[in-house]
Amino acid sequence: MSTLTQEKRLALLTRMLRMRRFEETVIHLALAHSYVGRQHLHIGHETTGAAVGAVMKRGDRIHTTHRNHGFVIAAGADPGKAYAEILGRADGLNGGKGGTWHLCDPEHGIGSTSAMVGGSIALAIGSAWAFKCQKTDNVAFAHFGDGTLDEGIAYESLNMASVFELPVLFLCENNSKAGQRPSSMLAAKALRHVPEALSIPSKLVNGADAEETLAAIDEATRTIRAGKGPVFLEVTLERWPGSHQVNAAFPTGVTDLEMAWDEGKITGKHADWIKRFDPLRLYAKKLAETKEMTRDEILAVDKRVQADIADARKFAEASPFPKVESAFQGAFV
Amino acid sequence: MPRMTFAAALIDGLVWALRSDPKAFILGRGMTGHGAEADAQKPLIDEFGDRITDPPTSEQVMTSLGLGAAMAGTPMLIHYGTASFALEAWNQFVNEVGNGHYMSGGQLQAPVVFHVFHGIRGGGGPQHSVSPHAMMANAPGIEIVMPASPADAKGLMRASMKSRNPTFFFNHTMLLGLEDEVPAGDYEIPLGKAAVKRKGRDVTVVALSKMVPEALAAAETLAKSGIDVEVVDLRTLCPLDEATVIESVKRTGRLVVADEGSIICGAASEVAAFVAEKAFAALKAPVQRVARAMVPVPFSPPLEAAVMPGAQQIIDACLRCVKARETISG
Repeated sequence: MSTLTQEKRLALLTRMLRMRRFEETVIHLALAHSYVGRQHLHIGHETTGAAVGAVMKRGDRIHTTHRNHGFVIAAGADPGKAYAEILGRADGLNGGKGGTWHLCDPEHGIGSTSAMVGGSIALAIGSAWAFKCQKTDNVAFAHFGDGTLDEGIAYESLNMASVFELPVLFLCENNSKAGQRPSSMLAAKALRHVPEALSIPSKLVNGADAEETLAAIDEATRTIRAGKGPVFLEVTLERWPGSHQVNAAFPTGVTDLEMAWDEGKITGKHADWIKRFDPLRLYAKKLAETKEMTRDEILAVDKRVQADIADARKFAEASPFPKVESAFQGAFV
Repeated sequence: MPRMTFAAALIDGLVWALRSDPKAFILGRGMTGHGAEADAQKPLIDEFGDRITDPPTSEQVMTSLGLGAAMAGTPMLIHYGTASFALEAWNQFVNEVGNGHYMSGGQLQAPVVFHVFHGIRGGGGPQHSVSPHAMMANAPGIEIVMPASPADAKGLMRASMKSRNPTFFFNHTMLLGLEDEVPAGDYEIPLGKAAVKRKGRDVTVVALSKMVPEALAAAETLAKSGIDVEVVDLRTLCPLDEATVIESVKRTGRLVVADEGSIICGAASEVAAFVAEKAFAALKAPVQRVARAMVPVPFSPPLEAAVMPGAQQIIDACLRCVKARETISG
């Protein structure tokens, strides 16, 4: 039985649905518009972003990567402005200057978003440094994948955080598959042994379980806010088959929430991923089975989310391209 | 007016900056080096020791830390020591620092100053003699400051700390002990304003950093031969004060550009190019560049001296300009 309140369960499900439906519409947009820029979708990883969205507070910073959409939406950014940025339009979060890999929304805690492997982990050290200097209880969330630990800057960042007890939550999404590129090639038995060697408390988390992930991120964030120094969470997730799209496609289909309670509907090449590893389906299934929410309630949340996302899409598609002169402006304040 | 060393003046500017902004912090000790001027940093440490942290040898994260902290409301100065060390963080400088404000669509500002010692120092060898400012000038989004006098060091440091843009501050190792008049109190010198350090009639020498005192020495020698040299100190490579340079060249008609960086694609090349584009009609002679030979800096003193530009090379270049019709062929 869940230890979450009804309100928190609803919020968790809603965030995960917003993240999922947002990403699916990114694929729809790619099919409809043939826009430039290869998207890196956060489908199948919703548990981490939704948890951070639930525990963050005003003034916190998230530093994420080229695979940022989920976290950006979970943090509360306007999906319309996010789509506009992905389409390179004037009303985009970054005025069309950054695109899909660099969504930025400091108002909602999204700092500079780097597409360089290792970029986000080091930028988070900066935000955390600022929080320490300013003596606030804010947290810097460093979101990155397992490949980041192949980069030298990761060691520098972990070490810096540990030496100076910086308020950083290192959130490592480990979706590596041995023998498949891209994947980390770390000569350690487990990723978290690396931060452990640098005296950072580290924990393995099952990213397929939404409430376990929320509990781990919530607990870690509390200890960091209390000034106890950084925490490293290695969140294991099964890579979504569409994780590296060359051409826009729905390898697992548009999510059908009824698959949460009617598993006969799960078919196709990636049925195994959908059945065993889709964290959104697994959470909806859990809520329905334990009767914490009814099927109708779950579907009603999804309907509202889809309506919001549809509005956001319309907003973005109606937004014009930025004025050409703006290309030459804004390198300096 | 009080006299101070370059090192002491640099620190004075930084002290005024920290007094004015209680939120600013420093990462890295030894801002006046480990040599003769090491003690010049004392006033900074005495007054603001609690705002200075000594980091591990981790230039990559130091750079992103400076950027991220500044973007989150804590202006930073990051001190690396020798300029070569900052090269560890080239990815951060180009991809994160230079891009940060622009790619956020203007949502993020980064009041961060990066500080290094550059230049040929005497026995530094290939890895401790680097002057990489032109490499950095080629990456959009980073201001580049290179004072040549104590008074400028103070005022430019003050302005750099105030700037809302990332600023890379290159001090020449060999200038730290240079002593001259420095105004007391708090003042700043705006970035992007070159200064005419010696008024002259016959040839303009545009110089950066240590090449400014070298140019002034060359001017003194040439004056004895009746050649009147105007020395323009660029002070900042970015923003670059084209107007002051062009105004000078329009009066003298002759240009020598002196920079201690390596000659290929160096700062001198940039000045030569924009003068050729925008003031060609004023030129009575081809533009001359004086810069470092295109080899790694060797260790042995006579070899090092041979690759290093200085007053003699500036004199030679000025004479070539003045005798252009007679000596320049082809």
